[in-house]
Amino acid sequence: MNLAVDMLIGAGLLVLAWQTISGRSLFRGIVLFVVFGLTMALAWARMGAPDLALAEAAIGAGVTGALMLVAFRRLVRIRPDQCAQPALRRSRLAVPVAVLAGGLVGVIGLAVVAVERDPALAGLAVTEALTDSGLGNPITGVLLLYRNLDTLLEVAVLLAAFLAARTVFGEDESRPPTPARREVPLVGALLAIIVPLTILIATHLLLAGSREPGGAFQAGAVLAASGVLLVLAGRLQPATALSAGPAFGLTLGLMLFSLVGLAVMAFGDPLLALPGLWAVYLIETAMMLSIAMTLVLLFAGASGLRRSGP
Amino acid sequence: MSASEVLASLLLLTGGLFYLAGTVGLLRFPDVYSRLHALTKADNLGLLLVCSGLSLLAGTWRAAALLATIWLLGLLAATVSAHLIARHARAHDAAGDKR
Repeated sequence: MNLAVDMLIGAGLLVLAWQTISGRSLFRGIVLFVVFGLTMALAWARMGAPDLALAEAAIGAGVTGALMLVAFRRLVRIRPDQCAQPALRRSRLAVPVAVLAGGLVGVIGLAVVAVERDPALAGLAVTEALTDSGLGNPITGVLLLYRNLDTLLEVAVLLAAFLAARTVFGEDESRPPTPARREVPLVGALLAIIVPLTILIATHLLLAGSREPGGAFQAGAVLAASGVLLVLAGRLQPATALSAGPAFGLTLGLMLFSLVGLAVMAFGDPLLALPGLWAVYLIETAMMLSIAMTLVLLFAGASGLRRSGP
Repeated sequence: MSASEVLASLLLLTGGLFYLAGTVGLLRFPDVYSRLHALTKADNLGLLLVCSGLSLLAGTWRAAALLATIWLLGLLAATVSAHLIARHARAHDAAGDKR
């Protein structure tokens, strides 16, 4: 029964992946990509990786899907002719490259299966060391205590992505300002329930991240979802000027992580050696806020946000 | 198999049937409104049945409360999105657009 479910998910992923890139239209491809992300999250959950499942559902399917939909909407406005075309034109090299890649994966997979495995010493050492640090979730522990430079650079990459996107925001000056729609009463009720709940869930994910599945990236994506809702409902309006609040939010994670990472050197510790659990929580909170701010601004396609409405 | 397990399986199966009916409606019904009707009504009931079945299987009040919250959130999302889609469709109908 379990095997049947796993095989169904695996086969579904292959079909969805194929349909996503070979779909008849761009829009269909985007929708299928979101479905692919949710199925992938299911696959991660089945493989016992709830952290990855959460990240895939929140970032891979949710935020990326929203970003692609907003990009599509803009494409409809500036290049209506491109939207009707199929998503991808197939190159003559596609089939040989796919066959080669598939063969390579197969050979490596067979080799891995055939090799007699040594016990994973690094993993054992890490889990042992982490029980001392008070971080029960090995993923958060590895991300912040052992691969902290990677995590820092991931936050930097996100900021770089926003700055790169910002260079093209200006090209869309002709777009009409979001019309002052009459707000649907139900949407106000939805926001009143969903936004506080999202903040609660993000905080829970952040705090739980030290013990169980969760962490700054998942929490940031969930927080960003409520920001996206507010932008969609017109409560937050995109602004062209970068104001102090969003700029602070964008850089907070990177700044705080670097500051704490550098400050420990004054006490004779190596670069980025986090001094304790409080530092982990502090940096994770800052990273969550930065991630959420970056994603919302990317979605709004703006350098800033201003409040409007009631 | 205990009595609660039998009841849970029945609930899960019935829930699955409602989902199936909702999906068939989505695929077969002629226009936006009747499709929305099929999807939101049948799926909300299906979700309730599936959540009840799962809470019976889990057997704790905590799990039951969490599943009930999930159902309520699902209801909220389905209601508002169905309302917005229907509103949008109606605005386009009034403008004489073809869908």
